[in-house]
Amino acid sequence: MAAARLCRCRCRALLSRPAGAVRARRGLAAGPEMHFGFQTVTEEERREKIYQVFENVAKKYDVMNDSMTLGIHRVWKDILVHKMNPCPGTLLLDVAGGTGDIAFRFINYVRSVRQRQLQRKLKHHQNLSWQQIFESYQKDEFNSLGDSQVVVCDINREMLKVGKQKAEHLGYSEGLSWVLGNAEELPFDDDKFDVYTIAFGIRNVTRIDLALQEAYRVLKPGGRFLCLEFSHVSNPLLSRLYDLYSFQVIPVLGEVIAGDWRSYQYLVESIRQFPPQEELKAMIEDAGFFKVDYENLNFGIVAIHSGFKL
Amino acid sequence: SALSRHCHGLREGQQQSGSGAGSGSDPGAGSGSGSGSARPQPPEPSLLRFLVCPLSKRPLRYEEATNELINEELGIAYPIIDGIPNMVPEAARMTRKEAPAEGSERP
Repeated sequence: MAAARLCRCRCRALLSRPAGAVRARRGLAAGPEMHFGFQTVTEEERREKIYQVFENVAKKYDVMNDSMTLGIHRVWKDILVHKMNPCPGTLLLDVAGGTGDIAFRFINYVRSVRQRQLQRKLKHHQNLSWQQIFESYQKDEFNSLGDSQVVVCDINREMLKVGKQKAEHLGYSEGLSWVLGNAEELPFDDDKFDVYTIAFGIRNVTRIDLALQEAYRVLKPGGRFLCLEFSHVSNPLLSRLYDLYSFQVIPVLGEVIAGDWRSYQYLVESIRQFPPQEELKAMIEDAGFFKVDYENLNFGIVAIHSGFKL
Repeated sequence: SALSRHCHGLREGQQQSGSGAGSGSDPGAGSGSGSGSARPQPPEPSLLRFLVCPLSKRPLRYEEATNELINEELGIAYPIIDGIPNMVPEAARMTRKEAPAEGSERP
């Protein structure tokens, strides 16, 4: 109702879950046809379905990741953070980062870099008394992250809940915040973040171009965009094996472990529907990023795309 | 014991009432969607520096009484549930209930 007044034209398409009466009153069309896995659905249906998928799998998300990828997803995420190579003081926005995998790795990385920094600094102070050395450890203790911060943004409340619980369980508290937001319409101001990551999330965004534009907007000049996502395997033999594994094994695992065959069927189908490496690279360039490049991992099963806002 | 109000209750402008129960221990909670558990957790101050309204990108004001982030200009408030700000327009509620705000958009 009154929410209509708030929306600009660009927002009309984004209000995905208004009440039926509201939609009728505003005369919204059903929306363009989109894909949900191999099905064809409207934009709004797609949003709903994807939200449901992640709501259903949230609690078993990490377990499923480990079983589907035989634990290799951890290596992929490690590689992403190593590629990022953050230094203390970096401000990271992790979008679609629900369960916090990238955020935790970022914190660990920055903490260890900070440790080495402090040790190197102390080594240079040869003439300090033990008292002074002790005091400097105390002082820097409070700055173990060096003012680095990570904001985890996800559209799905269940995923964020799981992530927050994990953080408490693993003891991550400093420099970590959680926000429920839409990647196509981020609740952050312009030129704010040093790095923007989206790991295995951009595939589920309905309007990828909008998400990329928002990524560009919230990054500082000089900021880096990093996207880790399933991509296309060009090698034909490997591609067949991969297809076999994806369509025969993964949904079964989904049923056995998470009790949800359909969600994992969606997952493997959505991977096939996602644009290949070059196409995604072009989309990122369209959003305004420079020096856009990608790195294939495991023959293209996943790819890391990187771009800079200059 | 008083059960916490739902998100919908927030939309009607009522305050969250803390039930003091831990998440998952409420027999009536059922879905466990985390709607308004225990005492409202304020957001982290560092986060407030970054958050703006997703629609207009204007700064927000944290309202401690209702545990919401308020955009004065547009008159909307985003709830904070379990310490996580809910920054999607669908979740926001109108703060102004007078006719002028609504009347202008009725054809």
